Amino acid sequence: MTAQIELKNVEKYYGAYHALKNIDLSIAKGQFVALVGPSGCGKSTLLRSLAGLETITSGAIHIAGERVNDLPPRKRDVAMVFQSYALYPHMNVMDNLTYSMRLKRKPRAEIEAAAKEVAETIGLSHLLDRFPRELSGGQRQRVAMGRAIIRNPKAFLFDEPLSNLDASLRVHMRKEVRALHNRLGATSVYVTHDQIEAMTMADHVVVMRDGIIEQQGAPLDLYAHPANQFVAGFIGSPAMNFVDARISESGEAARLNLPGEPLIPLNGSYPPGRSVIVGLRPEHLSVVGPDAGLALKVSMVESVGSASYISCSATPELSFVVEGTTRLRSGDSVHLAIDPDHVHVFDAKTRLAIGVVN
Amino acid sequence: MSRLLSSLRDGKGFDIVLVAVPLAFLLVFSGLPLIYNVVMSFQAVDMFSLGTFNRPWVGFKNYVDVFSLPATWPIMRNTVIFVVCSIAGQFVIGFALALFFARGFPGSSYIRGLFLASWVMPGLVVGAMWNWILAGDFGVLNYALRSLGIISENIFWASNPAWSLWAVIVANIWLGISFNMILLSVGLAAIPRDLYEAAALDGANGLQKFWTITLPMMRSTIGAVISLGLIFTLQQFDLFASITSGGPANSSNVAQYWAWEMSFRQYDFAKGATISVVMIAVVMIASVIYVRSTRHEVRG
Ligand SMILES: Nc1ncnc2c1ncn2[C@@H]1O[C@H](COP(=O)(O)OP(=O)(O)OP(=O)(O)O)[C@@H](O)[C@H]1O
Ligand SMILES: [Mg+2]
Repeated sequence: MTAQIELKNVEKYYGAYHALKNIDLSIAKGQFVALVGPSGCGKSTLLRSLAGLETITSGAIHIAGERVNDLPPRKRDVAMVFQSYALYPHMNVMDNLTYSMRLKRKPRAEIEAAAKEVAETIGLSHLLDRFPRELSGGQRQRVAMGRAIIRNPKAFLFDEPLSNLDASLRVHMRKEVRALHNRLGATSVYVTHDQIEAMTMADHVVVMRDGIIEQQGAPLDLYAHPANQFVAGFIGSPAMNFVDARISESGEAARLNLPGEPLIPLNGSYPPGRSVIVGLRPEHLSVVGPDAGLALKVSMVESVGSASYISCSATPELSFVVEGTTRLRSGDSVHLAIDPDHVHVFDAKTRLAIGVVN
Repeated sequence: MSRLLSSLRDGKGFDIVLVAVPLAFLLVFSGLPLIYNVVMSFQAVDMFSLGTFNRPWVGFKNYVDVFSLPATWPIMRNTVIFVVCSIAGQFVIGFALALFFARGFPGSSYIRGLFLASWVMPGLVVGAMWNWILAGDFGVLNYALRSLGIISENIFWASNPAWSLWAVIVANIWLGISFNMILLSVGLAAIPRDLYEAAALDGANGLQKFWTITLPMMRSTIGAVISLGLIFTLQQFDLFASITSGGPANSSNVAQYWAWEMSFRQYDFAKGATISVVMIAVVMIASVIYVRSTRHEVRG
């Protein structure tokens, strides 16, 4: 199967600033791909390069097999949903939805039928006469999506479309966008800085930092096998704990750089004596009785009812999660056991995962 | 007394004072002269009754007299041509320049700033400058046209009845371009970039973006620019005074200059007032159109 969208060695400079570095990305037809990364890492730049709103400095972009490097946006047949929605303020919802069809001078009846169908799909049939300024944020968001859907494009590009919505609406729209994607059999590229959004919506997650792709793969693959410390810390919530350590003589345990230099078992064999960083997800630490595990002091307890997030004073701070509520209070001592199956080991210098644990 | 003071400080009294000061100013310096002018247009005024307010009423006689003068209709026609062509020229060139500078090439904002030079110059200075440019025997315009082979002998722009009005129109367009351009630039800058990006993705080419995004989004700005242009153009006096003096034989005379001539050259104050009242009516209509166009603001 050929890719619907394919980027090869894409580079982008803004003057001297290197915004995209050697981007290789292949997106299959029907795939939902999320681009995540911290602010300023080049997500929007990559998306806008796909849309043709930015010209890339070198490399190649193919959409549905056609090289589009030199095509203007209007010839690329992709639709974009902007964070600001970018609705046309002087047109009502109907005219906003049908703008692209009216530009193409489609017959009136066809335009009206399409508008009706799309308005129903996005649940806006009763608002067709309203102007954007008369709509709520969520409704504007829907119009922006409708404007994309009506074009039946080769790909949908979303640039943080939900970030202006309140939390509960955002969770709701997440599902709706994904359902819409499935129903339309569309190919979508979705930019977000929220890793939960990326993990829950996408088939394929691309983690970016400083203009490079740090890692890409299925959401749970990234969670289980982060390729480096950055991805490990970025994916997963609450974030992974990192502790400096040294591999033991045997190569099958790590001596943590914590008071008392506790030794934790590793699953598999590592180069003895190597300086490493050990990554421990809060959900993979469990409380055990005294005389076992790591002895730590609780410094803070945050409970949300279904789970409690507990921080322990150590340098750096270690946190773990327990289900439901907890009796632990700040100042209590606690003993934590570590599941060797879920210990991540990164090289202290390169920060790359070594001998991925499994 | 203290109640009055406290009401002045933070009650309704303060609001009233705030409104009253400018209102009083407007009344004294704009309202009264305006009313005086309107009253005068219904009276018989001569040099002897100029100093009194109590003059014989003549009803619409002045209006009838003005509109039966042989010079009236050619001058009205000139006024319409002057206004329409000046505004059209100023607007089209100003808009084109605004769009050009909105592309934001290196140095664009500095060069745009230079255009303000024409705006800060007094009309009389601009008139003198254009007098030289348009001069029949040594003017640079004739020189340029002759060098290009467009004309074979000098045209006396300001004293040739076929060209005199156009000489003033060209100068007035030059004078008004910067005003139009600056206002339209502000309007253009207020249109969000992402609308153009959305339109580009929706399949619009440059011309379609201009018709479907730029023009509708600029509606109120364009209304303001054109209405203000109408008012400024109807006020334009200096250029006539310095380039053609309305001549030759009224061929470049327009209502505002004529009103002045009537009052202060021929001392027929009643007719001068009458002409200006007619102009006030036109300006008021323009103002209403302007206010209505800004009321339909569509930004959001
Ligand atoms: N037009 C531009 N000129 C110069 N630099 C730019 C331009 N646009 C973006 N950049 C730079 O490129 C980098 C990537 O920007 P981009 O907008 O792609 O970030 P992002 O990942 O979308 O961030 P965010 O999550 O904040 O939206 C940033 O450092 C930004 O400063
Ligand atoms: Mg962005």
